[in-house]
Amino acid sequence: MAGRDPLFPNAGIVARREYRDRVRSPLFVASTVILMGLAMLVALAPIAIRYLDRQTVTRIAVVSSEAALAASAVSSVDSLLNRPPTGSGDTGWQKPFAIEATDDPARAEADLRRGALGGIMIMDRLPSGQIDVTFRTNGTPDAVRSQLIGFAAIAVSIYDWTASRTIDSGRAFQAPAYRVDGINAATEGGVALNAQQSASRSFLGIVFVVLLFITVVIYGMWVATGVASEKSSRVMELMISAASPRQMLTGKVVGIGAAGLTQYVAIAAPALILIAFQDRIAAAVLGPSWAEGAPLVGLSPALLAGYGVFFLLGFVLFALIYAAMGSFVSRPDDLQTLSLPLSLVAMVGYLTAIVALGGAGGGWVTVASFTPPFSPFVMLARLMVSAVEPWELVVSIGLLVAAIAVVAVIATRMYAAGVLLYGQRPGLRAFIAAARRA
Amino acid sequence: MSLEIDHVTKRFGATTALDGLVFEVAAGEVFGFLGANGAGKTTTMRICLGIIRADAGEIRWDGRPAGELPRRTWGYLPEERGLYPRMAVLDQLVYFGSLYGEPPDRARREALAWLTRFRILDYAGRRAEELSKGNQQKVQFIAAVLHGPEVLLMDEPFTGLDPLNLVLLREAFVELRDRGRTLIFSTHQMETAEAMCESVAIVDHGRLVAGGRLRDLKRASGRRTLRLALEGDPAPAWLAEIPGVEALRRDAAGSELELLPDTIPGSILAAVLERGLSVTRFEVVEPSLEALFIEHVGRPADDAITLTADAAAPSLHVGGVA
Repeated sequence: MAGRDPLFPNAGIVARREYRDRVRSPLFVASTVILMGLAMLVALAPIAIRYLDRQTVTRIAVVSSEAALAASAVSSVDSLLNRPPTGSGDTGWQKPFAIEATDDPARAEADLRRGALGGIMIMDRLPSGQIDVTFRTNGTPDAVRSQLIGFAAIAVSIYDWTASRTIDSGRAFQAPAYRVDGINAATEGGVALNAQQSASRSFLGIVFVVLLFITVVIYGMWVATGVASEKSSRVMELMISAASPRQMLTGKVVGIGAAGLTQYVAIAAPALILIAFQDRIAAAVLGPSWAEGAPLVGLSPALLAGYGVFFLLGFVLFALIYAAMGSFVSRPDDLQTLSLPLSLVAMVGYLTAIVALGGAGGGWVTVASFTPPFSPFVMLARLMVSAVEPWELVVSIGLLVAAIAVVAVIATRMYAAGVLLYGQRPGLRAFIAAARRA
Repeated sequence: MSLEIDHVTKRFGATTALDGLVFEVAAGEVFGFLGANGAGKTTTMRICLGIIRADAGEIRWDGRPAGELPRRTWGYLPEERGLYPRMAVLDQLVYFGSLYGEPPDRARREALAWLTRFRILDYAGRRAEELSKGNQQKVQFIAAVLHGPEVLLMDEPFTGLDPLNLVLLREAFVELRDRGRTLIFSTHQMETAEAMCESVAIVDHGRLVAGGRLRDLKRASGRRTLRLALEGDPAPAWLAEIPGVEALRRDAAGSELELLPDTIPGSILAAVLERGLSVTRFEVVEPSLEALFIEHVGRPADDAITLTADAAAPSLHVGGVA
């Protein structure tokens, strides 16, 4: 019947009604306002964390085979990291860093890995007399902290040079060899992201994956509930004579998707603005030294486009399945039974993406990043924290589009059959049988 | 021009809903599609609309397969009543009109005209859930006719209407027929069907058991009813003993005698006059549609039945003006 029922304009008319019906409802407005407030609180959370952070003391160990070097390093690092914020005075301020020398490198390394230490400054003297400094830190190194440790390394080298120099020695000053070694740090294309980019990517990766999961589950359920409501109110009987299942299904997915997107933007826009100005807010509230750089620095137009593509394709794929499910229940209350398996599928994708965001790759993460319906979550996560080859992206998106095409055909068939079923218990058998005889 | 239901068969699993159903509806007439629950009426309508596909056979309008016709050819009032509960009445009428290809302005004008006609203009801006069932039913009827369909299919359109609304709907039927529309409706209300329809199809177990012009069906049955009333004793019991009388129904106003096919009504009158009685009413009438229905189906139309799949397909061709 596709010939007599072109997709448009009816799909557009259905979409417009679905959109208006939702965005005009008091529940939509109330939930948008509440979620917007929550999102803004989440956006401000890092500032609260920084506030709490200033109450805690971070330990940094200094390891050196020479006691004099270690003592010098403790003194230098302490003076550089523990500077009171400008204008704070000494009242109530306490040192945020505890710098301590240790002669047990193995124990220091173990403490670093379990998070008891914020970093280890390892100092050795090379045969040439040059001081070699490695700053080991857990995760991606903090840019400001790494730079200050580097200054401390130079200061130690200057102390060492001046202490060993005699008038006649003529030994020239040698700047220290200095490197920062972040264990478990993310890379892109084999090159480590700089600290701020990496932190930003991890933060945004979690935000994007969570948003995608929420979109799929909540707005997917909107679609299913919309279909089930039409059945329970029996208006479906009028609809099926006025529009084809394909037109109705497309209209529903587009209309409800657009309503979801509206809420999404309303929630996300203020939160993103707060995140963008997070540093300035932190500086204004906590003082200039608490500004740590803009959290959105890791975001690029390409990443945003990738997020947009996977958001759109992921939503469409799940929404089609939710719509088909909605057509098989007689009342919206029955949806919980049917939607649980689909929510679990989305949850698998979400959890795999979280694993991928943690830096794990290969195996299941790689497979899932190509496999619909997990790929929208997992490939998005891979994009955020690691290098993805262009061909991988093309294959992943291609498979997702192909899956949507197949699911659309099956969902339309099931929808056409399901909307005529009343009073039957929802189940896989009824689902398949009805689709066959449609 | 006509609607042809041409040997249509539809099975749902082991159940045969339509079993080679054949009949024809002439354009511009009011047609009664009669049958007990489960006889296949709704299934036939849904196949007309392309909602479900026939396993065999074809439905044509004006010689073209129903599936090839634009949706706006049809108007459909389903048996299951439903509207968007929270949507304003006028908004949803415009919405349905738009889906059938009506420009919003024209759909709005038509909707307001029909709402006025059905005396529910005040409800135009109200949510559907605020309307009584009868008024919701009128709104649904408007949704079905708003776009001016050539063929109007209605599943039990009179159910649940009070007498006043019944009259309004009947008047609308007549007007639509006068505009050249073809109206096909199913009903259990045989008196209403008899009053409205020029032709009928009586279906049972998905097959046609009788059909054609109502007048012809009545004549073809050979059955007649004599309504008789006598002064003093309007309905004496001895009337049943007169030769040629098959059955007798009595009430305070008189008697209804079912006559055997060969019985001459004058012989009954003669028998009465022989007894010296005075006749106050003597009227020979054709059988009612309900009587015809019971004659062909074996039970009243509102008896629930269970579908079986053991019947052979008939090849009756009835009614129809090509």
